[in-house]
Amino acid sequence: MKIIHMADSHLGFSSHNRVDKFGRNQFEEMVYKGFEEAIDKIIHLGPDAVVHAGDIFHNVRPRIRTLYVFKRCLEKLSEAGIPIIIISGNHDAPKSSSSTSPFVIFEGLRDVHIAHKAHYERFEVGDHLFHCIPFCLDPKDYLNEFGKIERSGQDVLVLHGLVEALKGKKLRTIGEHEIKDSMLKSDFDYIALGHYHGQVPISNNAWYSGSIEYFNFGESEDKKGILLRDLDRFEAQSISIRPRYMVNCQPIDCVGLSSIEIKEKLMEICSREVIQNMIVRINLKNVSRPAFKNIDYASFNRLKALALHLDLKVAFLDEQENRSEAIDKSNLHEEFAKFLKEEGECERIPRTIKEDAIAYGTGLLKKAVVAQNTEALDATQ
Amino acid sequence: MTLKDSSLIEKKENQKGLDGLLQTKIIETKDTTYRIIAKNVSEYHFTVPFEVHDSERVEVGQIFSIKDKGLTFLARVIDIRHDSNYDGNWDTTFTGTQFFDQSQIFNRVIAEPLGCILEGKFKKCKTLPTKFSLVKRAEEYEFSFLQEVMGDIEIGYLRNGSMAVEQIPVSIHSTAIDHHIGIFATTGMGKSNFMKVFAASCMQLAARNESKFGLLIVDPHGEYLKGKGPVKGLMHLKRYSEGLVCYSIDRKNFSDPGVAELSISISEIEAGDLSVLYDWSAAQRDALEAIARVFESCWLERIQKPDGINKMVSEGFNATTMGVISRRIKNLLEKNRYIDPVRSSLPGIISNLQDGRVVLIDIPRMSEQSELFLLSILSRYILEKYKEESSVEQKNCLITIEEAQRVLGTGSNTYRFETIAREGRKFGVGLCAITQQPKLIDKQLLSQINTFVVMGLADRNDRVHLEESARHDLSSLDIEIQTLEKGEAIVSTLGIPFPVPAKIHSYEVYLKKLEKEGRTDERLVSGGRFKPIFD
Ligand SMILES: Nc1ncnc2c1ncn2[C@@H]1O[C@H](COP(=O)(O)OP(=O)(O)OP(=O)(O)O)[C@@H](O)[C@H]1O
Ligand SMILES: [Mg+2]
Repeated sequence: MKIIHMADSHLGFSSHNRVDKFGRNQFEEMVYKGFEEAIDKIIHLGPDAVVHAGDIFHNVRPRIRTLYVFKRCLEKLSEAGIPIIIISGNHDAPKSSSSTSPFVIFEGLRDVHIAHKAHYERFEVGDHLFHCIPFCLDPKDYLNEFGKIERSGQDVLVLHGLVEALKGKKLRTIGEHEIKDSMLKSDFDYIALGHYHGQVPISNNAWYSGSIEYFNFGESEDKKGILLRDLDRFEAQSISIRPRYMVNCQPIDCVGLSSIEIKEKLMEICSREVIQNMIVRINLKNVSRPAFKNIDYASFNRLKALALHLDLKVAFLDEQENRSEAIDKSNLHEEFAKFLKEEGECERIPRTIKEDAIAYGTGLLKKAVVAQNTEALDATQ
Repeated sequence: MTLKDSSLIEKKENQKGLDGLLQTKIIETKDTTYRIIAKNVSEYHFTVPFEVHDSERVEVGQIFSIKDKGLTFLARVIDIRHDSNYDGNWDTTFTGTQFFDQSQIFNRVIAEPLGCILEGKFKKCKTLPTKFSLVKRAEEYEFSFLQEVMGDIEIGYLRNGSMAVEQIPVSIHSTAIDHHIGIFATTGMGKSNFMKVFAASCMQLAARNESKFGLLIVDPHGEYLKGKGPVKGLMHLKRYSEGLVCYSIDRKNFSDPGVAELSISISEIEAGDLSVLYDWSAAQRDALEAIARVFESCWLERIQKPDGINKMVSEGFNATTMGVISRRIKNLLEKNRYIDPVRSSLPGIISNLQDGRVVLIDIPRMSEQSELFLLSILSRYILEKYKEESSVEQKNCLITIEEAQRVLGTGSNTYRFETIAREGRKFGVGLCAITQQPKLIDKQLLSQINTFVVMGLADRNDRVHLEESARHDLSSLDIEIQTLEKGEAIVSTLGIPFPVPAKIHSYEVYLKKLEKEGRTDERLVSGGRFKPIFD
């Protein structure tokens, strides 16, 4: 059995402030187009199934246009007789009681299997069982849900989250959940992972397919695309959908450079071939503020119009010193516990209730922080 | 024991002409015992009746208190002797059918001062109790000052002789761990039990997000994960399972959702890691070091193939040498199935340690060489990461080494662990050395260890070796250490003013206690969960 493994389509993602002639965000349209191209390619390849390992939508309340694009693609697959297995990810799963999962709209369609109810579900497609663990409400739930899996001998596992081997590359998105090493069992025929946007193998039987698009500059070096996996022969083939279109340039050290020299450097990098239809970031470091203010941007801006997006990231000479550390809101409860502990040590809190007070207060604050974070996530556009 | 509440001074006045204890008629037998009779600031002697009821026997290790006006002295028994008022053997001379003079004999107890309590504060003694001060068994409340100095990792209860004082838990300070820990005991005295108790306390802290270091345990006996029969393992501590991460090479554990399959990826192995595997000749060592330079990547794979060997030979290395290396590497990969082309557990292990969890690596039935090889890779990787990221917010790390004499012994070729012992502290990496033969551990390295957990040690050489390098003076405790029973320990550590006698928890009992205690508080905090709308 051959399957296509894809993930992190993020339909509805918009960025870079450029609009097309209909007034629609150009990058958002590009994301739709990329997804549709991928579906066409998949139909051409004719696999026995498609697995999408989370984050179909960029957020839990996709707009009508987003839903429409997705529906059209589902119909195409259905016409071609290719079943699809989908799990919800941290972006498109509801995290607060006020949200409804967008996937309820697509439930019950023929050959469309969606796990999105924050618990384990399995689907039998072809001669394999697809064990799906979608986004769960609590990071602690995953091991429990994983424990429900019963092997058939022909098993595929579908997960969305960051594996421990990539933990150094934390994406730092809110609601990111971790996949424990203990879930990556070698006796699965395949483990289809989603969340990390680069295409990488984690073990012989576990891969991140990566996303099709480049969503931020942190991904500029990533390999992108979808994977064709032969479940019987344990082989994965990478299929790219688009040529690389993101460049994050090496930082230019501007120490001692005048405004004219900086401009020359900029023009040097921004040749037409390099930036046309590309998303480019130019990094300048050690820039003097007066020099930066005096740069004549006219010709640079003409070039800039060719790019899909051109981003100038400037680190000023005087910047390093006055950088202050932001308070990490997600750890408020720890701060609070520390505070209470100090108070407790000053004997301001009676000894007999100290432990209870700290435990209760910390727990309460933790809940408040988590609730606030998740509400905020659901609301983002 | 009952003692008349009469003060000695009154007695003295009532009985004029008192010239010492010799005049037994003047002071009643009862009053002459349990009195300080000698000797100086660092050693007290007191008398006890030569024959007492079982329940009143004095044991080595027991703690006595001496109230002397405003001061309370605490002293621990280090030896007990027969004694009498006569020189020579007069006291054991027969008179008819009887021994000479029972009223002239007593037992002399030799005790070492722990310190004194003045207005509730504990300090070292700079003076000694007044002669003939009354000596009593210390009571629980007199130990309460100890609670103030205890740390956060509970390991057992205070022990008074062979009795546990359950009101006073003994806990090590987290801050002491990068100053290294040593666990010393003859086989069967409770090293493994201690490690499980220690790990359980660490798990509890980690699950509550209060831990200050990650604990790495590499377990060659496969005894920590699930235990065996009635002996429980760390996975049985379900309540704090959040604080534990397990990796195993044992297939029979793989099906467990909480156990990961251990892998080291081929690309993570360096030539230096192989040095513990064999006794390499100088030529072989040179060649090994060169391999990684000759092949920039995948050296381990390429050196196994004929053209890899040829390439090295063309670089001027001896063909036989290369043959041996190639064969040994093939052998290594064959024997160590956890070495994988792609997959690696190392990042997961590190990040869990940095998060302050207990990471258990279960490697039952692995050959000793393979075990040291693995431990060596892990330690190198940990030290590298901790050096690299020493600015990042990360918790310290404690690396456990079983049978530590193998790698910290005099003249062992495992410089890597010695490096950690010497400079790990700079990066927040500590060693927990477990051994039944402390005498084999390099004295210099031993002197780097600041926390000693000494359990029963039968061999005198082991004790002497330890005593000579301990931070606290343990030499006076020689007799006690010799007589320690299973689970009994002396804990000498930073932050606690004297070597504390402890009764280490039995892991199985501690497990039950941890699972049970404070359950109601949690219910108070965790309320019901919301349910999003799915349909
Ligand atoms: N603190 C304790 N309380 C009660 N029982 C204990 C205690 N410590 C150890 N024991 C018991 O003693 C036995 C041996 O203990 P353990 O396996 O920990 O010894 P060890 O020093 O690790 O031995 P070895 O050298 O063989 O590894 C076990 O059956 C254990 O249950
Ligand atoms: Mg043992």
